[in-house]
Amino acid sequence: MIERIGGRLPDAERDRLAAIAYRIRRLSVEMITWGQWGHIGGSFSMAEILAVLYFRHMSVRPEDPAWEGRDRLILSKAHGSPGLYAAMALRGYFPESEIYSYCELGGILEGHTDMTRTPGLEASGGPLGMGLSVAVGRALGLRYKADPRARVFCILGDGECNEGNVWEAAMAAAHYQLDDLIAVVDYNKVMAKGFVHDQMAIEPFADKWRAFGWEVLEVDGHDLDALDDAFHRARWILPHGRPIVVIAHTVKGMGVEAAEFNSKWHTHAPDGATADRMLRELARRYGFPDEGYSRLDDPVAKETFYGGE
Amino acid sequence: MAGSDAPAAGRPKEMRDAFAAALVELGQELPRMIVLDADLHTSSKTSAFKAAFPDRFIQVGIAEQDLFGIAAGLALEGFQPVPSTFAVFAARRALDQVAISICYPGLDVTIPGSYVGLPTSRAGASHNCIEDIAVMRALPGMRVADAGDNADLRAIMRTAMATPGPVYFRVTRLTVPDLFGPAHTFTWGRGEVVIEGADVTLFGTGVMTSLCVRAAETLVADGIRAEVVHLGSIKPLDTDLVVASASRTGCAVTAENASILGGLGAAVTEVLAEQAPVPVQRIGVRDRWVDSGGIDDLFTHHGMQPSDIAAAARRAMAHRDGTR
Repeated sequence: MIERIGGRLPDAERDRLAAIAYRIRRLSVEMITWGQWGHIGGSFSMAEILAVLYFRHMSVRPEDPAWEGRDRLILSKAHGSPGLYAAMALRGYFPESEIYSYCELGGILEGHTDMTRTPGLEASGGPLGMGLSVAVGRALGLRYKADPRARVFCILGDGECNEGNVWEAAMAAAHYQLDDLIAVVDYNKVMAKGFVHDQMAIEPFADKWRAFGWEVLEVDGHDLDALDDAFHRARWILPHGRPIVVIAHTVKGMGVEAAEFNSKWHTHAPDGATADRMLRELARRYGFPDEGYSRLDDPVAKETFYGGE
Repeated sequence: MAGSDAPAAGRPKEMRDAFAAALVELGQELPRMIVLDADLHTSSKTSAFKAAFPDRFIQVGIAEQDLFGIAAGLALEGFQPVPSTFAVFAARRALDQVAISICYPGLDVTIPGSYVGLPTSRAGASHNCIEDIAVMRALPGMRVADAGDNADLRAIMRTAMATPGPVYFRVTRLTVPDLFGPAHTFTWGRGEVVIEGADVTLFGTGVMTSLCVRAAETLVADGIRAEVVHLGSIKPLDTDLVVASASRTGCAVTAENASILGGLGAAVTEVLAEQAPVPVQRIGVRDRWVDSGGIDDLFTHHGMQPSDIAAAARRAMAHRDGTR
């Protein structure tokens, strides 16, 4: 059952997942640029996490999103919605063309997650700190059901872990021994207005989770082999009465140098020309054919910056 | 109640006991009903459900934000959660979770708020909620109810559990006189004419409806025939009945055991201002924090006794008649 603990992905599989992570970043830029709102940094930082979960570790049926036996994923850092929507479009929950309805009146992709409009979303969210409680509720609910195989994943942000609600949920998950609940922290080191360690320090972070009764795995969140290994462990080795957290060390804005560790790109929509440069940089960085912004010739509102100065 | 106009605190007919009995009754009928508690079950009386269905009772500790998040997750898995806590913690501490995790996606969660209105336990403003009606009413898709008696509470709970989507209802610790019989049913958006009258309409909700009845009885001595309308369904409101009754009598009083800012008085006057403008007087807590104290003293202090309602009715009639 345990195939490759400490091992590596087959090359073809790693290439497949890397291409998906690249596409997640591309679609995020297209979406945010066209919609003129969104969070590039936090979408980029979890691209590999989403690729490995949706395309390798989670059991889902996009054509039947309410399939009872599916693994559930709740994006607690719901502002990372472009990354999530990109992964879901690529996985087949809805046509890729829907990304251009992001943030549009009547579209199926709301700025922050609205499960009533997007097939396959497992919760609505936006305010930080809430998702893990909903994941705990889903995990408790699954306990009442006959099929115990479904698992609940919850992706949190690092800055989000300033919120007290996260730790209320962490306490409850351990109390109820929810070992089918797997939290993933996209530890990208930067929150909306600066570095996490400047705004409100969360270290010693792994110790906090351990003290709350969780199994902790720390990985490089951009290393597909490491993520794959962590989720293998979470599935086959660790479940013995304790919830599991994968602390994924990531780079906010990973993939475009100007955006990396840069809180300016927390909430920031590029104009068409900037998006075009970003997409070409992504192609070079990840070794794909040169390809710019697909709607460069379409009228797009000028660059907007919601961060204030 | 002897010697007191206000509802009495004390056993054996406190509304929270009726709440407990109805919870157990519904638990027998609804296998997917799950009651959650944040360390208050012997106060709220969800302890009865815990005793009857220990496997369907979830304790979350003193963590109200988690309480409502977990309830959302359970609802998403197809269960019918009833997260129970004091109204202050539902309407204040965990409002964002109630709003975005539960109400925004329209989840089937039924939220009882206990310890509502003027403080019943001498715990002061921190533990009794007067703004819950206003807060919950403002959430799109949230239904809000305040029971007039124990039979009404049971009916509200039965309807709430049969209604898809989020519901908030109030559970007072007071003992309330019976207004309705055991066959009473509750329908969203439908008010009840308790006493027919022609001179002034007294719109009550929650425990205040029975005080409106007492006020109407005193007004009879002055030859004033007040109509008493119980609006247990605060949202949706029975706008047809509100407009019809107020149009007929030409003036009205609203009465609620809550803040008049955004509560029933606001709901009724919003409708009347748009559809049938008539003079209205509002009874309830003014823009101030409440103190602990004897419950009867508190009803007097805040001008919420039947005599206050009767005086408000006379003021409303004077406005209507231009004789004030």
